[in-house]
Amino acid sequence: MGHFAEKFLDQIYQEKIVLSLSSVLGFIFLWYLVTDLLGLMPAIVLPSPEKVFFTIYEKILVPVGEEKLFGHIGVSLVRILVGTGMALGLAIPLGILMGWYENLDAIASPIIEVLRPIPPIAWIPLAILWLGIGLGSKVFIITIGVFFPTLINTYLGVKFVEPLLIKAAQTLGAKDKNILWEVVVPASVPLIVAGVRIGVGLGMMCLVAAELVAASSGLGFLIMLGGDDLKPELSITGMILIGILGLIADRIVLNIERKVIYWKKE
Amino acid sequence: MIRSVNGNQQPEKLVAQNVSVLYEKDDKSFLAVDDVSLSVQEGEFVVIVGPSGCGKTSFMNTLAGLVRPAKGKVYMDGEEITGPSAERGVVFQQFALFPWKTAYENIEFGLKYRGISKEQRDEIVRKYIRLVKLEGFENSFPHELSGGMKQRVAIARVYANRPQVLLMDEPFGALDAQTRTIMQEDLTEMFLAEKRTVVFITHSVDEAIYLGDRVVIMTARPGKIKKIIRITEENLVPDRRNLNYDEVVNLKEFRDLKGEIWGLIKAEILEKHIL
Repeated sequence: MGHFAEKFLDQIYQEKIVLSLSSVLGFIFLWYLVTDLLGLMPAIVLPSPEKVFFTIYEKILVPVGEEKLFGHIGVSLVRILVGTGMALGLAIPLGILMGWYENLDAIASPIIEVLRPIPPIAWIPLAILWLGIGLGSKVFIITIGVFFPTLINTYLGVKFVEPLLIKAAQTLGAKDKNILWEVVVPASVPLIVAGVRIGVGLGMMCLVAAELVAASSGLGFLIMLGGDDLKPELSITGMILIGILGLIADRIVLNIERKVIYWKKE
Repeated sequence: MIRSVNGNQQPEKLVAQNVSVLYEKDDKSFLAVDDVSLSVQEGEFVVIVGPSGCGKTSFMNTLAGLVRPAKGKVYMDGEEITGPSAERGVVFQQFALFPWKTAYENIEFGLKYRGISKEQRDEIVRKYIRLVKLEGFENSFPHELSGGMKQRVAIARVYANRPQVLLMDEPFGALDAQTRTIMQEDLTEMFLAEKRTVVFITHSVDEAIYLGDRVVIMTARPGKIKKIIRITEENLVPDRRNLNYDEVVNLKEFRDLKGEIWGLIKAEILEKHIL
């Protein structure tokens, strides 16, 4: 691409950033308008933006429950990371093996087909019963949330690899085992990563759900506490942070996706 | 014992005996190849031509071991072919390159399973990259290459693997006229130097006559052998493999052969209304 074209694109990009920034500021202004400026919404129903920002600032310094704000973020982060890690560690190998070995597929599929439609949230009571209200039960729910989309995509990715590529590998002398690791798995990577992306999104929902029901820390706990104590600014604080966390998580997966499927046409 | 189909004295590398191929599609099965018998001698270059969809590729797939014949048997060196093997390299019409591997890695692929050391592999890969004129594109991924370049990678990948038999399904189809001519000449040169057995499918009658020891003309679907024409010193020209493509195609003998073969194919197309 020529230097001129690059500069031109840069400019468009910058203009777009201006637009995006204005939209965020506009949204906050609208919020300010209906709360402080026009007083359409009482503070007990919808607190003003500056009240929320002040709450964020305050909670960084003063603990809510067991933790300060960053403590709660940290707790949620650990839960989502451990849960996602466990889910990927289980779902990707199982998906690959199920897609490749038809016997394993026949054994595992019926169980998975029944478990898959159960919303992860439905597991919360059992999770608490089995694992208490600490890290264990949260990780369990998140693992279930991330597990199924990742498993299904991995399975489909392996199952529907372009048969011509397998034929080519066979006629070049590759044996079944080589074909699985050198052809089938790399060919399924785009679908696997797409599954991970869906899974991580679902995992964020599971995190909040699990923390809403029973927790003494984490962002979901803050959201719930705000409701219980009639402090909507605390709930909104938790919601904003979950939103940002989810956005960051999605960007990370997206970046990984770009790195591992470098060989695909944009 | 396998019955010799053509009764020639050369050892028979590939033998197809009464091969039929059935395909299932939407609960219906249709016959793609109907009772084809052909034997290919060691070091022979056989070209198959025929109308589109006549089962040429299906027939070749049985030789590759990728498709089992519904009836009949295929043999290599007297042993029944029951599956694919590195000794029967296939250049696929749709390239079938691994998109996540570079041109270099694609060409190297088969060599890894032959127990060849990294240094030797490098030497071989570079040799074939030179041969197909892809220097400078070693590290390009297939999506960064043109159709012709992809096809050259696919060809180099199979050449480099040094199979005893080369099965080539319209390998030059996506190449422009100049590159195609160069590749045809290179293939001839390599064929003369290494004397491998080749079965080659093409739509181009010119290509068939220029490359082949024998040209097999197939009927429209279901594919049967309509006629086999041997290209010899008598009906073409002595030592034609040492002549350039342009020189050969302009010979009167060449045009006569072309007329004959084209006539046979055209008759098939018109007769069965497949246009």
